[in-house]
Amino acid sequence: MKHELKFTLNGQPYEIYIKPKTLLVEVLRDELGFTGTKRGCSSSSCGACTVMLNGASVKSCSILALQANGAEVVTVEGLAKGAELHPLQKAFLDHGAFQCGFCTAGMLMSARGLFEENATPDVMTIKEAIDGNICRCTGYNSIVRALTAVSKGEYKEES
Amino acid sequence: MIKDFEYLAPKTLKDALTLLDKYKDEDHKVIAGGQSLLVLMRQGLVAPQYLIDIKGISELSYIKSDAKEGLKIGALTTHRAVEKSPVMKNGYSVLSEMEKRLASVQTRNWGTIGGNICHGDPAGDPAPVLIALNATLKVAGLKAERTVPAEDFTLDYFETALEPGELLVEIQVPSPRPRTGTAYSKFNIIESDMATVSAAVSVTLKSDNKTCDDVRIVLGAAAPTPRRAKKAEAVLRGKEVTDSLLKEAGNVASTEAEPLSDIAASAEYRQELVKVMVARIGREALARAKKA
Amino acid sequence: MSKYSVIGTRVHRVDGVEKVTGTAKYTFDMVLPNMLYGKILRSPHPHAKILSIDTSKAEKLIGVKAVVTGKDTIGKKQGIWRRFPELCDEEILCREKVRYIGDAVAAVAAIDEDTAEEALDLIEVDYEPLPAVFNPMEAITEEAPQIHEGVELNININRHLEWGNVDDAWKDCDHIIEEQYVCSSQAHVCMETHDALASFDHNGKLTIWTSTQAAYYIQVLAADMLGIREGDVRCINPYTGGGFGSKFELDSAQFCAALLSQKIRRPVKIVLNREEEFTATKRRTPMYYFVKLGAKKDGTMLAKEVRVITEGGAYTAMGATALYLTGFFSSFPYKYPNYRYDGYRAYTNTAPTSAMRGFGAPQSTFVGESMIDNLAEDLGIDPIEIRRKNGMTPNYVVPGQAWIQSCGLHECLDAIEKHVKERGKLPPNRGIGVSAYGFMSGGIFNWFDTPYAFSSAIVRINIDGKVDLFTGANEIGQGSNTTLSMICAEALGVKLDDIRIHSADTGICPPDLGAWGSRETLMNGNAVKRAAEDAKNQLIEFAAAKMGINIVYDMDIKDGWIHLVDRPERGVSYYDIVKDAIRGKDGEAIIGRGHYTPHRKGMISPAYSFGVQAAEVEVDPETGRYKLVNVTTAHESGTVINPVGIEGQLEGAIMMAGGYGFCEDQPMDEGKILNPSIADYKLIRALDMPETEILEIDTYEPEGPFGAKEAGEGLTNPTAGAIGNAVYKAAGVRIRHLPITPEKVFRALEAKKKQEK
Repeated sequence: MKHELKFTLNGQPYEIYIKPKTLLVEVLRDELGFTGTKRGCSSSSCGACTVMLNGASVKSCSILALQANGAEVVTVEGLAKGAELHPLQKAFLDHGAFQCGFCTAGMLMSARGLFEENATPDVMTIKEAIDGNICRCTGYNSIVRALTAVSKGEYKEES
Repeated sequence: MIKDFEYLAPKTLKDALTLLDKYKDEDHKVIAGGQSLLVLMRQGLVAPQYLIDIKGISELSYIKSDAKEGLKIGALTTHRAVEKSPVMKNGYSVLSEMEKRLASVQTRNWGTIGGNICHGDPAGDPAPVLIALNATLKVAGLKAERTVPAEDFTLDYFETALEPGELLVEIQVPSPRPRTGTAYSKFNIIESDMATVSAAVSVTLKSDNKTCDDVRIVLGAAAPTPRRAKKAEAVLRGKEVTDSLLKEAGNVASTEAEPLSDIAASAEYRQELVKVMVARIGREALARAKKA
Repeated sequence: MSKYSVIGTRVHRVDGVEKVTGTAKYTFDMVLPNMLYGKILRSPHPHAKILSIDTSKAEKLIGVKAVVTGKDTIGKKQGIWRRFPELCDEEILCREKVRYIGDAVAAVAAIDEDTAEEALDLIEVDYEPLPAVFNPMEAITEEAPQIHEGVELNININRHLEWGNVDDAWKDCDHIIEEQYVCSSQAHVCMETHDALASFDHNGKLTIWTSTQAAYYIQVLAADMLGIREGDVRCINPYTGGGFGSKFELDSAQFCAALLSQKIRRPVKIVLNREEEFTATKRRTPMYYFVKLGAKKDGTMLAKEVRVITEGGAYTAMGATALYLTGFFSSFPYKYPNYRYDGYRAYTNTAPTSAMRGFGAPQSTFVGESMIDNLAEDLGIDPIEIRRKNGMTPNYVVPGQAWIQSCGLHECLDAIEKHVKERGKLPPNRGIGVSAYGFMSGGIFNWFDTPYAFSSAIVRINIDGKVDLFTGANEIGQGSNTTLSMICAEALGVKLDDIRIHSADTGICPPDLGAWGSRETLMNGNAVKRAAEDAKNQLIEFAAAKMGINIVYDMDIKDGWIHLVDRPERGVSYYDIVKDAIRGKDGEAIIGRGHYTPHRKGMISPAYSFGVQAAEVEVDPETGRYKLVNVTTAHESGTVINPVGIEGQLEGAIMMAGGYGFCEDQPMDEGKILNPSIADYKLIRALDMPETEILEIDTYEPEGPFGAKEAGEGLTNPTAGAIGNAVYKAAGVRIRHLPITPEKVFRALEAKKKQEK
C-alpha cells in the first residue's frame, strides 16, 4: 500500500504517494528527478547521498522517505540562488575541490550542514564534518582548503 | 533490495506500546533512526512484515540532569544531541567524547542513542561507556515498566533483554560520585570506524585521592557482548592505582576477553590490544578522578 | 612573466559548474523513455561446470521483459589484447563453465530494479562444482586444477626482460641481498560503480552511454561481441565518476545491457551495486616478488634479478600489461647495468586482476624502494645518497627498452633531502622514509591492434571565433577536458572560454585509446596541439594575405591577436579574421586536424616523469598502530599545464597509494572476497589523511605538448614504499607484505623483542 509523503524540497512543497520501503534518496532521484544527489554504496558509508534535513546533514540512503514527512529537505540543486552560485560552490571551484564530481553533492551538503552550525569552523572541525564522505579523487585536502577559505570569510553570501 | 512491509508510525509512546503489543507475536521490527537496521534490510538479512517507526515520538527525545536524579536521556535522542549537549559537562563528558567518534556527523544527526543500544552490536560505542557509568535502562511495555542495568541489557551478539512488546525509553545515569573519573576510547585503523577493540574505565578514589574505592572496566568488541572485566577490576579495587597495577589489570582483562578473529584483526591481536587499552584508559580515568 | 597565456594558470575546471550544481548527468543518472532495468546473475562457485540454466520461471514473472544467458551470445570470447587470440578468454556471460565467484551467467531486464532482482532468484542454474585453486603459487603446480582448457600449469602469460649479464655481474658485487615480498590486491572503489545504458534501435544501431575510461575500446569490443559493425555502435562517456584503471575493458554491465537491448529493442540500464563492484569487476594484481640485488661497497648497484608470480584471477584482462610493466618498472628509476626479469601470470579461481592506477609499478616500487633502503643500511650509506648514486639522468637509455629524455630525478632528490633536513630531529617513534619513482606517459603498446592513430583531435572554428574541439579523450575526473582545452586555447592563441570541448563520443569524436597509462596529456595533448596549430596556420594565411605583409615576417596568434612576431603591435583581431576566412573558404568553417602516435621512442613510452616522496609516520610501539603524519613529494612532470589539476592528482594519489600501503586489502576465503562493502573495505578518510606538501621541480619534455608529460598515475607508485621505509625508521621493523597493517607491525615488533632477548 502506498502512503502519502508531504515534504518541502528546496523550498517547494511536494505531495507524493510512495511505498513505505522507499528511501529518501529514491524519492529525490527516482520519483522527483533530482539526480544531483548520488548513491555510492549500500552500507551507509560513503556519504554521496548526503542532503540537509531540517537543517542537519543526513544520509538520504539511510532514511525511509516517510520519516521525512513534514520535513524540509535541501539538496545540491537548492544551493545556488538562480544564476548566483552558493559560496560553497564558488570555493569548491576555486580550490579544485573535486575531480570526477560524483561525491561533490554529498560533500557540499555535509559542508552546508557544518556552516549551518558553525560559521567559522577550524580545520579539525572541517575534517570531522566531511569524514562521513568518501572522495576517491582529491585526497580531501583541497576540500579542506576550500572550506577553510569559506570559514575565513573569503566567500560571503550575497544578500 | 528491501522487501515490502506494512508501515506503522505512532506519534506517542502510548500508541507505540499499543501497536507493539498488538504485533508482538507477528514478524515485526522497530525502527528508530534506522542507521543500522536499514543496512540489514537492504541486504535482505532482515525483512519484517511490519515496521513500527518510532522516530517521530518526540516525547522520547530529551536530555535532563540534576544532582540528585542524575542524567536522563530519552531513548530517541540523537547521537549528535548527546554529543553537543552542555549538560554533559556536569560529569558526563565521556559520553560526549564517545559520541564524537561514533560514525559520521550525518549518522549522528539522525541515529539515536537508544537505537544503537538496542541493535546489540558488541562493537557499539555507547554501551561500554554506559556500563562504566553504571547506567540503568528504563524499558516500557504496555502494562508495565521495568529497569535493567546497562550491563545486563545485551545478551549475545545482536540480542538484547527486551521482551516482545517492550521499548527502551530512557537511559538513566547516576550522578558521578566524588573523585570519579571515566574515560573511553576505541582502537581502530580508520578514525571514524567501528571499534576493533574498545574499553571504558571508571575509577572512584577514596578520600586519600590515591586508593581505588571502586572501579568498572568494560570491554567492547572483545566478546559477544560489551563485557565487564571483573577480575581486572579486582586487581585495582582497594589498592593504590599505579602504572604497573594498571598494566596488570590490562593483562588480567585480556584473559577475560573472548574476541573473535575477523577481517579487522585476529583474536590474539585483539587480546593484546585489550591489555594496552585497559592500562591506557585506566590511566586517563585515574587522572580524571584525581581532578574531579 | 610566463610566456604562456593559458598554460600554467589556475583555472576553474571546464566541467566545474555542472559538477558543483549537481546538473552533470552521469550514466548513473540517465533515464530514457521506455527504459528497462537490468540485473546480472553471478556464480556463487569459484569453479564449476554449468550443467543447465532454467530461466522459464523468471521469464514468467510479471514485469520481466527479457532474460539472456550465454546461449544468447554469438559465443565469442573477448579480451583487450586483441592481437593475441589466445589471450581473449572471457565470455562475460559464461556458457559452459564459471571460473570465479562473480562470473556472470544470466541477465534480466525488467520494468524496475526490484522486479529484475526478484527474477534473478527465479533463475535455476545447475552447477557441478569443480576443484578450485586460489593461490598463484599453488596454481602453477602439477596438482592444480586446470582453469582454462589447454593452458598448462595455469600459466596465462610470461614475460622476460634482460640486459647486460646478470650471472657474470654477481661476482663483481661486494654485497648481495635476496628478499621476498608479497604485494596485495586493491579495489579501485570508483564512487560511480560500473554502469551502462544501452539502446538498440530497430535499425540495429546501438548507442551505449557508459561510465568508461575508453569509449573507443568499448565501441569496438561491444561490436565484436554482439556480431555487428563498429560503425553501428556509438559509445558515449557522459560524465564518469572515477576510473583508476577499472573502466577501460568491456564489462558485464555494458555487455549485458547491450545484449538485453539487442533482444528486446528497448533501452536497458544496468548499474552494478557496490558488492558487485568489489567482487565482479577487476582489481589490482597481487604479486609475489623474489628479488636478488647486488652492489659495490660504494653503493653502485650492479645487478638486479627479479622473479614475479602474479595472481591473475580467472581471465587475462589487462593483467598481461601489468605483468610486463611491473618487470620494466622494477628497474626504475635506476641505471642497472645488468638486469633480468621473469614474470609469470597464473590463472586462479579468483576475481580477475588487471589494471589499476600505477599498473604494476606501485608493486615494483614498494619492493624496489624497500630493498634499496635495506641495501643502503647494510652498506652504511645514506638512503638519498644511494639513490643519487644510481638514479637515472636525462637522455639515459634503458638498454633495448626505453629512451628517457627529460628526467628531474636528481633535483627531486635534492628537494627531498632538504625537506628531510628541515623536519629536524624527530620525536621518538617517528620516522621518515623516502621512495623514488618514475612512470610512463602513455604506453607504446598496440595489443589492441587499432589501425588508428593513438590520439586524434579535430578543431573547428566557428563564425564568432568560438572553437569546437573534438577529441576521443576520456574525462574521468582526472581533468583531461580542462587540460586539453587549455592546450587548445594556448596553441590557437585564444581564451580558454573560447573553447567548447566534445570528448569521448565515438559518434562524433575521432578515436583515442582512452584515459589509462597516464597518456591523455602527452598523447592527446599532442594531437590537440597539432589540430589547433593546423587551424591557426589557416587563419594566419588569411591574415597574411589580408594584411599584405612582407613574407620575411613570422606571424602568430596570442590572446586573440593575430600579429607579426617581431612587431606584435601590427596585427588584426582573431575574431575579425575568422569571419573573413570563413567567407573566403566559401562558407566552410575552419577545420584543423591533428593526430599523434609515438614513433622511435623505444618499446614502452614516449616520455617518463620522475619524483621522490618522503612519508613521515608515528608508530605506537605498544600496538603497532601508526599514523601518517606528513607526505611530501618532489615531482617533475615537464611543463605544468593545469596546476590545480596536478595538485588534485597528487593529493588524491596519496589517499589511494597511502591506502595501498596502510589499510586497503581484499582478504579472501576460498575465492570469496570477505569485505565487499565500503563499511568493511577500509579507505582513508578526511581525518586519516596526512598533511601533504608538493615540491614542484621544473623540467621540459621535448616529446610533450608545450613540454608536458604525465602527472597522475605515477604518483601512485612511491607511497607504499615510503611508508614501509618510514615504519622501519620509526620502529625498526621491515614489513614485506602489503598492506602494512598495525597488526603486522605489532607482530614484527614482538618478534624483534623476542630476538633481542
